[in-house]
Amino acid sequence: MLHFKIVSPERIVFEDDVDQVTIPTKDGEITVLPNHLPLVAALQAGELLIKTGAARIPMAISGGFVEVQPKSQVIVLADTAEKVEEIDLERAEAARQRAQMLAKDKITEASEYAALAAKMEKELVRLKIARKYRRDHRVPTPVQG
Amino acid sequence: MAVSPKIIKRRIRSVSNTKKITKAMELVSAAKMRKAVARTLASRAYAGTAWELVQRLTMRVDYQHPLLGNKQDESTYSSSDSDDASEESRSSRQARTVNKTAVIVISSNRGLCGSFNARIAGEALKMKDVEYITMGRKSRDIIRRNGATIAADFEKKDITTSIADLSPLTRLVMDGFLDGTYSRVSVVYMDFISSLVQQSRVKQLLPFIAEEDENLGVIGTSPRNLTPTLSSEEREKLTKRGEYEYLIEPAPDVVLNDLLPRLVELQLYQSVLESEASEHSARMLAMRNATDAAGDMMQELTLMYNQARQAGITREIAEIAGGKAALEN
Repeated sequence: MLHFKIVSPERIVFEDDVDQVTIPTKDGEITVLPNHLPLVAALQAGELLIKTGAARIPMAISGGFVEVQPKSQVIVLADTAEKVEEIDLERAEAARQRAQMLAKDKITEASEYAALAAKMEKELVRLKIARKYRRDHRVPTPVQG
Repeated sequence: MAVSPKIIKRRIRSVSNTKKITKAMELVSAAKMRKAVARTLASRAYAGTAWELVQRLTMRVDYQHPLLGNKQDESTYSSSDSDDASEESRSSRQARTVNKTAVIVISSNRGLCGSFNARIAGEALKMKDVEYITMGRKSRDIIRRNGATIAADFEKKDITTSIADLSPLTRLVMDGFLDGTYSRVSVVYMDFISSLVQQSRVKQLLPFIAEEDENLGVIGTSPRNLTPTLSSEEREKLTKRGEYEYLIEPAPDVVLNDLLPRLVELQLYQSVLESEASEHSARMLAMRNATDAAGDMMQELTLMYNQARQAGITREIAEIAGGKAALEN
């Protein structure tokens, strides 16, 4: 068993014992199984997938860090994290369009551009994940955690 | 009973008006407090976890990040450090010792919140030979009155909603620290323990040092803290260098460059939130006390008024009786 915890600045999104977790890091997707060696990695926007038994819990995250401690403790510090059922498709689409509109305006500062690009990426990931799991209804209702 | 009932009546009216105002302020503060406390508690878990991660990480990484500053124990440095680098770091360290400490003071903009601002400013003024960066009008005024140096003053919003609100401040202290203007950056804030208890705290923000003192660093150390507190033995075991090594992806410098500035920002944000929750709690309490005191005062004045009125009636009756007796004789 793997003790997994994911926190975002707003709340503890999920904390429970799970079988395995797939996490999008900057170097590519990794899957953490019990007794993984200690690791710290930077994350990028993408899909985080938790598996416990037959249940799968997909989440959209947008960057952050993961820390794997000895004795199968995994902590994710996510900038934002949402379970798929929490993503409002229409609002995600609207947010993406807003970001796109903003990108069309002139951007003078580099930091501003980076922030906007990050926002775009985040919204795209949210949309992608929400669509993916809405279309096929294979996702079982998640374990309340 | 020299005071006339008329004057007492006027005083009662004035006290009752004040009571209405304090009551309204209490309710407003209570609503603001609920929001501020919810935000504070929600982000505590994240801030605490991030802080723990950095502590564990810096224990096990030889990479020298400028924001990390000096490690206490020089002997733990790996001997692979080239001579140039250690020479350079020594000289920069020497330069740093003569430099100043910056203290960020987070207070409120408005008064009427008990001893809240006085306690924060008092805590800040205990430190000697420092430069202050104030946030909030009250601390600025108190510190200026005391003739201390204020390096910068930031306007505090009544409600801080996003970390981005604090980015100018974060940038100032981080740049100041990196270019050697400041050798140390601390923050003074009011830790929210409960709506009745708040504690002023000083926390070192930069450089990051894994401190023994558990209050230092961990914002929101309170019985309600969401991260389980480790026993000192466990803590020692966890922080012991060489117990295990981390694999760091993509590379230590990339991760630390990303993580450390964010942590500074986060710690600052959390201390602002804690201060905000404390401010509203303090104000609510102060206003409740004022309302209660006004109620007591009204009761006393009403009693006095009735006594004065009764005395007047008694006197009038006595006069009538006296007049009648005089006529009959």
